[in-house]
Amino acid sequence: MEHNESGTSNSGEFLTFTLGAEEYGIDILKVQEIRGYDAVTRIANAPAFIKGVINLRGVIVPIIDLRIKFRLGEPTYDQFTVVIILNIGKRVMGAVVDGVSDVIQLSSNDLHPAPEFGSILDTRYILGLGTVENRMIIVMDIEKLMTSQEMSLVEASAAAA
Amino acid sequence: MSIDMSQFYQVFFDETSEHLASMEALLLDLDVDNPSLEDLNAIFRAAHSIKGGSGTFGFTDMTSVTHVLESLLDRLRKEELHLQAEMVDAFLAAGDTLRAQLEHHQGGPAADASEIVEVCARLNLLAAGNVTAAPTPAPAPAPAMAAPVRRARMECDLPAEIAGDPVRLANLLDGLSEIAALDVQLRPDADNPHLSLVLTTQKRDDELQELMSFYLEPDEITLSDADAVQQAYGFFDHAPGLDAVVPEVDDSFGYFEDAPGRPPAPEDEWYGFFDDAPGLPASTVQGLLHVEEVGVYGLFEDAAGKLENLPNRNIAPCDSPAAIEGQGYGIFVDAPGGLGLFDNAPGSQQITRTSAPAPMGNGQVQPPAPGRRLSDGPSVEVAKTGRRDNDRTVAAANAETSIRVSVEKVDQLINLVGELVITQAMLAEAASYLDPVQAEKLLAGIDLLARNTRDMQESVMSIRMLPMSMVFSRFPRVVRDLAGKLAKQVEMKTIGENTELDKGLIEKISDPLTHLVRNSLDHGIEIPEIRIAAGKNPKGTLTLKASHQGGNIVIEVIDDGAGLNRTRILSKAKERGLPVHDAMSDHEVWQLIFAPGFSTADVVTDVSGRGVGMDVVKRNIEGMGGRVELESSTGHGTRTVIRLPLTLAILDGMSVGVGGETFIVPITSVVESLQPSLDTIHTLAGDSRMVYIRGEYLPFISLADAFNLPGVEDITHGIIVVVEVEEGKAALFVDELLGQHQVVIKSLEENYRKVPGVSGATIMGDGRVALILDVTAVARMGLAGSGSHRRGLNTAP
Repeated sequence: MEHNESGTSNSGEFLTFTLGAEEYGIDILKVQEIRGYDAVTRIANAPAFIKGVINLRGVIVPIIDLRIKFRLGEPTYDQFTVVIILNIGKRVMGAVVDGVSDVIQLSSNDLHPAPEFGSILDTRYILGLGTVENRMIIVMDIEKLMTSQEMSLVEASAAAA
Repeated sequence: MSIDMSQFYQVFFDETSEHLASMEALLLDLDVDNPSLEDLNAIFRAAHSIKGGSGTFGFTDMTSVTHVLESLLDRLRKEELHLQAEMVDAFLAAGDTLRAQLEHHQGGPAADASEIVEVCARLNLLAAGNVTAAPTPAPAPAPAMAAPVRRARMECDLPAEIAGDPVRLANLLDGLSEIAALDVQLRPDADNPHLSLVLTTQKRDDELQELMSFYLEPDEITLSDADAVQQAYGFFDHAPGLDAVVPEVDDSFGYFEDAPGRPPAPEDEWYGFFDDAPGLPASTVQGLLHVEEVGVYGLFEDAAGKLENLPNRNIAPCDSPAAIEGQGYGIFVDAPGGLGLFDNAPGSQQITRTSAPAPMGNGQVQPPAPGRRLSDGPSVEVAKTGRRDNDRTVAAANAETSIRVSVEKVDQLINLVGELVITQAMLAEAASYLDPVQAEKLLAGIDLLARNTRDMQESVMSIRMLPMSMVFSRFPRVVRDLAGKLAKQVEMKTIGENTELDKGLIEKISDPLTHLVRNSLDHGIEIPEIRIAAGKNPKGTLTLKASHQGGNIVIEVIDDGAGLNRTRILSKAKERGLPVHDAMSDHEVWQLIFAPGFSTADVVTDVSGRGVGMDVVKRNIEGMGGRVELESSTGHGTRTVIRLPLTLAILDGMSVGVGGETFIVPITSVVESLQPSLDTIHTLAGDSRMVYIRGEYLPFISLADAFNLPGVEDITHGIIVVVEVEEGKAALFVDELLGQHQVVIKSLEENYRKVPGVSGATIMGDGRVALILDVTAVARMGLAGSGSHRRGLNTAP
């Protein structure tokens, strides 16, 4: 894999999506597929941003609503709600976003370091800020985010690893 | 060793484990006083295969142990030594050592070096010790064994992976050169796997074949006497005066021709017939008995002079050689015109033949040795060869009936079939809205699909099923060792070894079962003196039984020992402060021994008595979704009954609805379900609720509260499901009962994490996910959370 886990990828393709008014990008190699939002099975006593689990062709996949997690946009669920199915390590998980916009090419030179403040997203999970046609793209380290303890998606022991 | 050997390691590990297992089984079955030669040979072969394999893969520690083992076995099977009970023990110990070494190579802990040395010393001692004490005459050597040192020609086609690998080839030749001086005439390579060697050795042909047995089947190796071939050539090339008899058979039968001055066949192998040519050391032709030659040999069925019978009798051989026969005979086709005649040469010519009983039987020709007739020797050889052929067919047939497949592949298949079942259920549901008249054909098709999917699911699940004999087979050894240690006489019986169980369960059941067997031997079955005093057979019986009962498998461990001692259990329980009283039913008393740390043994032995055990057994079995029950009668024995679900992958569940969500309650834990009435609900300490059902107060646990769901407010509109949990019973309050299904268990943890109160997930017919409840955990959650969650609810007083 050309992808570098530490997040210093030289150049690569990124899937961009919107959360509220902001535009985010994630490494396209982490994306398995994009699908519509289905009814989920709720999981008791889980944080509100974990919507529940769905049956993705026989695999039980947890669904996280990033809009709730980052308090961005309105968490509405209709036929336009999009779920990005991600492959993180050996796990499969889904992230609900407002909309998927584009696939862009960014090299590490195009990425500017994010300021320490001013973002809801902890800078630990931001690889940098990119610019495409005057739009600012916040490039996320989706793997680090999804396996972080605060997402409580994985057991504490697995997250530490 | 070269690195690419490692890809074969797993095969070696698997095969060696199998060899060790079969060796052990054979050893345990061996009748010490009168061992069957066949069993000894089988044990020897197993040891030999391990030696060959470990040598090839460079596990020299195993090679050295097997070597010692093999030498002793070799002496036994040659009847140079008598089998003794100590030898069986030593063999078993050697088997254990090998297993430990094997585990070490598989990444386990290193084998105990002192043990290895001890085992080897023990074997050596046994091998050396009794040489004189066993003067059993060696079996009358076959005539072919006479020659002490000889030159043997070996021809064979090596498997491509050896011929193509210079390292392995060199190993093979090195191995051979240890026992014989080699003269490699044709060295194989990747393109031409044919190996041609002349060995100067004392070894007999079968020993040479044995050496090669790791690479080739015995009958894939052609052995002949190197000198004989040369002489035979000479015989035909330059001895026109002698009469070689060559047969020719077709429908008109019986053309015979003497072939003075004509070499009858252009190939080496054909000359091979004439190994017993006059003047040669009597050597066997056995190595030459190729299938191709079968028919040819068969021709010479009777002694000379009865030639008119010949054609009728020799057609017996099976079909396969027939084609080759034709070929072979073709060589001789230009026979002289004498139809049905026999150009019998002068009296000096003789035709002799032997017949083999088997259809594949081989005969041998002994070409015209003036004045010499065939002895009985060759027919012995023939019978032997015939059997070897049969053995091989059996082995080949076995090999074809099973294949080694990785569990991963099977599990993938099971998953896919699970998907298919879900898809089929979705289709069926969608089709249920159609007009049955208009969509008649579609509905019939969907019905058929349902049936086919079900059948398919069953057969796919059966792939994972293994017979209980996989577990039971280890117990004869355990029982034997333990009975010896405890000075008890025990006979072990197994019933229903063919009952099949899921592989995952088979692996997990083995430890609890071992524990139960050890318990039975240690505490159950008495020593012979006590048994005799009690009027019982001094030999105790331990029975392992497996059977199907409904959707469960039932495994029983039955002994005819002393049984459980009620008073002793009760007094021990009192000592330990367990809540007991004398009026408890037997059943309740027996349950006490499942309490952690409970032991009634007066003496702690290294077998059992430490009190760790029955509680672990119970926990393990419950972890598999099973139950343990005990029945005992003082003085007559104990019966432990384990009930297990057939498989881990599928669960019988009852689906319940709470606040719009569906949950599955494992049916094994459901006792009953009923509609509650307000007057049966009572509060305890103003906080937690109890429900009074059939004379018992059960904790009332609302699933809606436990999972923070909006459940029904009015208790009379819901349903109470009474479930059995570890602590006893509990009343689970749900909104509604939905149905009963067999559900395929899916892991939540694979992509998510463990969820409290949930043991897994499944996919329902509509494609949605339903969570499977871990009722014990739910009960605990419900009890712990009842204070905080309940306040907002409108509950009964």
